[in-house]
Amino acid sequence: MREIARLVLVLGLIAACSAAALSYVRTALEPRIERQSDFYVRGPALERLFGAPASEVLGNKIIVEADGLSYPIFYFQTEGRLAGLAVEAPGKGGYGGDIVIMVGLDLESGKMLGVEIISHSETPGLGAQVEKASFRRQWRNLEIGSPAALSGNGGRIDAITGATYSSKAMIDGTNQIVDLLMKHEEDVRAMIARRDDRASAESGRDR
Amino acid sequence: MTLLQTLTHGFWRDLPPFRLVLGLCPALAVTTAAENGMGMGLAVTFVLIFSNMFISILRRVIPGKVRIASYIVVIATLVVLVELFMKAFFFPLSQQLGIYIPLIVVNCIILGRAEAFASRNPVLPSMADGLSVGLGFTLSLTLVGSLREILGSGTWFGMPVFGAGYEPFAFMVKAPGAFLCLGLLLGLMNAWSRKRGEIFIQT
Repeated sequence: MREIARLVLVLGLIAACSAAALSYVRTALEPRIERQSDFYVRGPALERLFGAPASEVLGNKIIVEADGLSYPIFYFQTEGRLAGLAVEAPGKGGYGGDIVIMVGLDLESGKMLGVEIISHSETPGLGAQVEKASFRRQWRNLEIGSPAALSGNGGRIDAITGATYSSKAMIDGTNQIVDLLMKHEEDVRAMIARRDDRASAESGRDR
Repeated sequence: MTLLQTLTHGFWRDLPPFRLVLGLCPALAVTTAAENGMGMGLAVTFVLIFSNMFISILRRVIPGKVRIASYIVVIATLVVLVELFMKAFFFPLSQQLGIYIPLIVVNCIILGRAEAFASRNPVLPSMADGLSVGLGFTLSLTLVGSLREILGSGTWFGMPVFGAGYEPFAFMVKAPGAFLCLGLLLGLMNAWSRKRGEIFIQT
């Protein structure tokens, strides 16, 4: 009995120390990691989706809370009107965890601009092929208003051979975004409008 | 072993992956370029030095029955630390290495050194052992990566080596090229050892 107590105590203590060290370092480095991934991943992804320089759109960011998750949303304006959104969501059910994707939405035509991968831990050579342009190209011009699906389920997306889980996770993420927009489009527009008013008021004061 | 022997055994006598024949998965998978091999090697070296250090400090505290579980917790913690640091300071490299960084946890060299050395030796020699084996691993991976990159893409650490007329031998940067390169190096090293009459584990 005493021996078992000792086993539990030692292992528990080691685990507790490691948890403390990890949460400390994670909190300390989080802002830096965010900046790095903005620079190397989100920026280029936004450039491809919106066709505008990253420096112009990276700052156009709001965070929408819905169903207990927070979704970062980037927006793009032409001539003062809201033209496009890029919504980030974690696609559930990937083989190595969530696949975080960003879907570009053209609000004027009601179609998708495309999909970008923000982070994933899929198997190289199999699931990691979701990064390939030939697979992602299938998202172009999908209707924003209707859920996406794999061609096996009557949809328009052909899954990657041998990587059904990864493909499904991408669909899951896309549908979360479609869902979010159907339920909260007005809120999103209102948030962006408020943020814009504030930004123009501030720049007015600077002058 | 004297401290000097501990410091140098990782470079030939127990050179991973060739002489220990452990840690073959990253040696095959990430060595498509010299830089990737070196990055992976250095990440492993860091984990190895500190996992050896902590395990050696705790060697009298950890009960034998849960030692493997304890080692894995220590190693996994260090690997996540490396992953976070890499993402914060060397983001492109961390993207290149991708899933192979978290997989350092199951790299047999680290558990092997913990079990074979750090759990039986004081702190300083254990750290020296980690440094030596880790740097040996880094050198090996950089060598394999260099050979594959030079032949397969015509560059070394991203710098062009041959003139523009060079047709890259693309086979070398693909998976079969890794097996070929590693196998040939292993064979050469074994032939050299045999010629010198060294005794080693592989027969």
